[in-house]
Amino acid sequence: MRRVPGFGIGVRSPANAAMAAVTVFALCSGVWLLRDAAGTHAPPQPSAAQARAGLDGGAGPDGRAGERPGVPPLPPSPPDRIRIPSIRVDAPLTGLGLTRTGSLDVPPAADENLAGWYEAGTTPGERGTAIVAGHVDNADGPAVFYGLGALARGSTIEVDRRDGGVAVFTVDAVEVYAATNFPDEKVYGASHRPELRVITCGGGWSRGTGYQGNVVVFAHLTGSR
Amino acid sequence: MRRTARQLTATALTVAAAALAAAPAHGTSGGGLEVSPASVVPGGGVTVRTAACGGGSVTGDASAVGAGSLSLVPDAHGQDATGRFRVPPSAQPGTYEITATCGGSGRRITGDLVVTLTPVRGQVHPRGSVKTGVGGALGPDPVQTAAGVAALAVAAAGGTWLLHRRARGDGI
Repeated sequence: MRRVPGFGIGVRSPANAAMAAVTVFALCSGVWLLRDAAGTHAPPQPSAAQARAGLDGGAGPDGRAGERPGVPPLPPSPPDRIRIPSIRVDAPLTGLGLTRTGSLDVPPAADENLAGWYEAGTTPGERGTAIVAGHVDNADGPAVFYGLGALARGSTIEVDRRDGGVAVFTVDAVEVYAATNFPDEKVYGASHRPELRVITCGGGWSRGTGYQGNVVVFAHLTGSR
Repeated sequence: MRRTARQLTATALTVAAAALAAAPAHGTSGGGLEVSPASVVPGGGVTVRTAACGGGSVTGDASAVGAGSLSLVPDAHGQDATGRFRVPPSAQPGTYEITATCGGSGRRITGDLVVTLTPVRGQVHPRGSVKTGVGGALGPDPVQTAAGVAALAVAAAGGTWLLHRRARGDGI
């Protein structure tokens, strides 16, 4: 039997000491893992402060203090990638069509880091309303736009274009709309300047109906490089 | 002058054809080949879809517009087969026939694709909400839960072993 110096009682066997350490470590990590696993939360939802207040008047947000002015539209070019640094999004874009009911199709759910753009519509940076959509989660957990609801006004969205340029958008508003009364014109309607919509699921979830609406980010072109 | 006039007429006809073709862009056209979008600029991406082959493999042919052949992959439900191709940037405006052949029956189906230089915009906006989530972020994470249970099992085994040693007087 060996006495470890400095311990009053002493850890008399190295095997015992190792086992005690393993036991304590396993207990702590087990508790932490279970707490963390059970605590997987619903995706963040936008607050009222991020809403479109004042944008619906028709005049556009150009007169608002602190609003970055728009820039001239870019020529059409399909997008390849979307980046939203403030919520750590960096994902390739695939082309999307429409479903049989006329709603926007979605990217394959299995790839959690893939977003899509409506390729029969406006390309991001061009004059008009470009539409990007991605999953908030899939069967395995959070997906590309999980954090979209946490985006704030003034945040930057960058879109890499196939012509080698980058279209830079600034967020005007983040809204959540119920699926039962979806404002098609506001979200998809034409625009006189280059705008971008980024859409994912949101608005509460229930086992029966799934997500009850969409989080929609409104942004306009404020730069390019 | 005459030549210019002819070209202008051709362009006008192309735009008109595109406008006409854009209307039924997303219809099923009676079990034919659904081409979406029905009107595209050179360099644009096109999705073709059909339910006519009943879930089997489908070979598509977009060589008319210079995009070669493609394969259409059946979806999870085995109903629709979907494939994608890109119109070459050098494609000339016009209407092109895209064909698909069912792997099993050899049945041949066709759909039209209009290539236009002036993008025909704004006729077809999406409608309604988008199905971009299933709630997978909400439940407990199964992998993490299993790891946690396993770690607690290890802790329990270790604790039992130590108590045994202590009961036998080995002390800790």
